[in-house]
Amino acid sequence: MTDQITFPDVVSLAVPLFIAAILAELFWIHFKGRGGRYETRDAMTSLIMGAGNVASGILLGFIAYGFFMVLWQVTPLDLGTAWWVIALCFVLDDLRYYWVHLFGHRIRWVWASHVNHHSSQHYNLTTALRQTWTGTFTFMMVVRAPLILLGFHPAMVLFVGGLNLIYQFWIHTEAIGKLPRWVEAVMNTPSHHRVHHGRNPRYLDSNYAGVFIVWDRLFGTFVPEQEDEKVDYGLVHNIGTFNPLRVAFHEWAAIWRDVTRPGLTVGQRIRYAVMPPGWSHDGSRSMSDGIKARHLARHPEAAGTPGFETAAPQPSPSARTSA
Amino acid sequence: MPLAVMLPLVVVGIAGIVGLLHLLGYTGGFRMATGDDARAAWLRQFPEDTVTGAVPCSTGSAALVDTGRGPGLVWAFGADSVCRMLDGGRARITRHGLRIRFPDFNAPSVTLAMPPDEAAAWAARINEKRP
Repeated sequence: MTDQITFPDVVSLAVPLFIAAILAELFWIHFKGRGGRYETRDAMTSLIMGAGNVASGILLGFIAYGFFMVLWQVTPLDLGTAWWVIALCFVLDDLRYYWVHLFGHRIRWVWASHVNHHSSQHYNLTTALRQTWTGTFTFMMVVRAPLILLGFHPAMVLFVGGLNLIYQFWIHTEAIGKLPRWVEAVMNTPSHHRVHHGRNPRYLDSNYAGVFIVWDRLFGTFVPEQEDEKVDYGLVHNIGTFNPLRVAFHEWAAIWRDVTRPGLTVGQRIRYAVMPPGWSHDGSRSMSDGIKARHLARHPEAAGTPGFETAAPQPSPSARTSA
Repeated sequence: MPLAVMLPLVVVGIAGIVGLLHLLGYTGGFRMATGDDARAAWLRQFPEDTVTGAVPCSTGSAALVDTGRGPGLVWAFGADSVCRMLDGGRARITRHGLRIRFPDFNAPSVTLAMPPDEAAAWAARINEKRP
């Protein structure tokens, strides 16, 4: 079994490209007067979150890599490093990304890590870099275990994961409209990913793809960008801080506050951590299906349109906070 | 990429982009000139609310909003806005205006520049006891 395989750290190598692309997008917006929005403190927070993500990878990356190497010692399979193995690994890792991303929106424990990526009310190339500092603590590295056990070397799995992340950088822009139909059909594009960042009820919990949008089409989570409904970026309940520490940890703090409330059963405490964002033991908050249903109660004409195919109208609860 | 190369690249990159954004005039920018602007900002956050009144401050950087659930505050947050109910919010008059604290980890406080008489009126309104 091959232990000593090295692949380039493509994310680090791409840092100059990230900076150049951000400057290009900024100048495009500034001189053309269209194609997106920038705000100084918002961008600064996003960039610091990106730097913090790299730092947390340096500090904590050994945990995931150690776990993968244990699996690599266990598995009898070794697919080698042929180009087609790398390509297959890239596709399967993108499927892995789809599910991790879906869990990131539907399990609050994982959402606590991912939420900061959605915490900007802007959508530009700096938003792509607004990444988690706490991904290790979600334990989502276990979703990569099947790839290692199937015989893909851990270094290769991390390499294709880096390529996946780099691909997703350029789709965080409003400067690119819709691409040719075949591209929009197969690939994740700026248009598809804008939808994913929307807080509009129609766009909630959709388009989890990393590189290939076919996963969303396959699993029923695809919602196309609507020409008559501009995407409103951010969270259902937007945060009011640019402080990177608060951005990184605010949902963890909220989970702690809920889990330690007096008077709850053990089951309720656990559910505050693992149920979808917006779950509450007394129904006083709204999960995304409730938000969609109440939107339909106010706008019944939207029933059956993209994003509302399955939701049923529901009246507003008397007491409501937020998702 | 060696850390000795990446670290300066990241620091200079962030500082350069942030400095450029500021010089190009992309710092802040959200203002509410009228009650309708404040109402729109509130309903963007809470579309199910009934807004019965909305009064921006003289600088347009914040507005007090009356809703069916009680009073709230909407304020400029960069080029956008943020809203919070005022239950639990406490206002303190400062040299340049008002500082409002919320019992909220992700929106802990907001500092508003406003004239002293307006700050006093807003502080009284925000700190008044509510059932």
